[in-house]
Amino acid sequence: MRTALASLLLLVSVSAARAQDATPAPAGPVEIPAPRAAADSASELPAAVAEERITVSSDYRGSYITVFGVNPDRRGRGDIVVVVRGPGQTATLMRKTRVFGLWINGAPVRFSSAPSFFAVLSNRPLRQIASPESIWRYGLDPAAAAQLETATPRGADPSDYKAALVRLRREQDLYQVYASRADPNERGGLTMYQGGLFRAVVLLPANAPIARYQADTYLFREGRLISSQTIPIDVSRVGIERRIHDLATQASFVYGLLTVLLALFAGWIASILFRRA
Amino acid sequence: MIYLPIAEMPVNVLLVLLVSGAVGFVSGLVGVGGGFIMTPALIFLGIPGPVAVATGASQIAATSFSGIMTQTRRKSVDWRMGALLSVGGILGSIAGVGLFQRLLNIGQLDLIISLLYLIFLASIGALMLIESLKVMRGHQQQASGMLHRPVKAVAHRLPFRLKFPRSGLYISVLPPLALGFCIGVLAAIMGVGGGFILIPAMIYLLRMPTTVVIGTSLFQVLIVACITIMLQATATQRIDLVLAAVLMLGGVIGAQFGARLGAGLKGEHLRALLGLILIVASLKFLWDLVIPPNEYFVLGAGML
Repeated sequence: MRTALASLLLLVSVSAARAQDATPAPAGPVEIPAPRAAADSASELPAAVAEERITVSSDYRGSYITVFGVNPDRRGRGDIVVVVRGPGQTATLMRKTRVFGLWINGAPVRFSSAPSFFAVLSNRPLRQIASPESIWRYGLDPAAAAQLETATPRGADPSDYKAALVRLRREQDLYQVYASRADPNERGGLTMYQGGLFRAVVLLPANAPIARYQADTYLFREGRLISSQTIPIDVSRVGIERRIHDLATQASFVYGLLTVLLALFAGWIASILFRRA
Repeated sequence: MIYLPIAEMPVNVLLVLLVSGAVGFVSGLVGVGGGFIMTPALIFLGIPGPVAVATGASQIAATSFSGIMTQTRRKSVDWRMGALLSVGGILGSIAGVGLFQRLLNIGQLDLIISLLYLIFLASIGALMLIESLKVMRGHQQQASGMLHRPVKAVAHRLPFRLKFPRSGLYISVLPPLALGFCIGVLAAIMGVGGGFILIPAMIYLLRMPTTVVIGTSLFQVLIVACITIMLQATATQRIDLVLAAVLMLGGVIGAQFGARLGAGLKGEHLRALLGLILIVASLKFLWDLVIPPNEYFVLGAGML
């Protein structure tokens, strides 16, 4: 009885979300995709993260972020997309050009905001799941989430710069794309289970910034967003790491003085030790 | 492996110790701060550039201080000359930080740094190598005579002359001040102590005896490094104390071994060695500028 009621409720909420999504999009230029969950979907996709708080201490080697949830559709229709985002930061990109036989940096191109971390997970390529407009609108790929601030140099294609940013960040594992069924031998990826249960595992590399992340889960059907949910994930320093960082940012003069004294002390100790030896 | 709180990444402690020890060894041997090797080495290990530059200064301070303790016992520090150079150096580094920011804004900092390294390393290295090879072959008089006269004449003609008993000089205070200033500007832009330029300049421009040059340059490098630490700590907040501690440990130990070995070497051998190191390093910079890059796009230091 109870399960029947629950599924009925879910069905109602899903159809409500569909109705809402079907309303025509406002005319004019496409809205700039701020990294956000779809606020215009009526129902929340039932999802949670295993690690709501990740602590960074001196033995930190990176971490895994596990997002799990349920596709509320009883027949399991639709595709799940999971995105784990770090906060947007400014970035600068330069293209090398040849001048008098030397390879030098061209004019810098600034991004007013580019995700510091971005992992997108789906069962199959994103373009088969969501329409290009949805990908752009919800910032489902890192290039769509990055915003150029300055104009690119004459004759240069802005999308080249965006592609280069994504390529460089992917090499650092800061941007990750899983677009197929999870490989059972590897830990990262999206896995679907029976009953609409899904689990997404993202490797947060140690070089990813310490900040507040968010995990967004989306349910798409026939290219349209049905429902979504946003879950915050806090990555923060603890212990000595935290104390050092706090001192460096809040009492920078003392921190500098401490560094100088430590340097002099180290030099002094070394010269004494080695005189005796 | 240990996680660095400011660089926000883990590093292999043994690897960093090894690198800083090697850099310290070279610095103790020939009396340079080692920053011009250390900063690129840290960046190669994956440390973000601003953190490498800022933190490198603390290792330079530790290494040069331990070097000075050893040199003081040998009475090979000209304190008066060192103080003059330091005053010029502090003014120069303040001017240099402003220039650094300007170059960063127009995106040409990399080019200027590479070209500066290329020009200075190659020309100074070649000069030292040629001179010391001549000395080793016994043409000492000819070699020093050529470089000696014109500069000494200028230093003697300028006002504000001062006695430098340790160096056995009686010259104007203006050349050391100007030299210190230039080194300070270069040091701030290149993110190094500047010893590798200062030492040849003291030998060839100020005509100081080789025995005093190393200790005195260490003194100037120490003062400039301490100022740099304070500027970096308050302005950029990119000094990583954990990384600094590891670098210091490796650096000072290496420097002590280096200084010991250096005491047993002849001046001309020392100079030939430094000359060789500088030439090799300059070739690396030339290589990077001339060879077509694999990746045409470069990520700038976006945090600035």
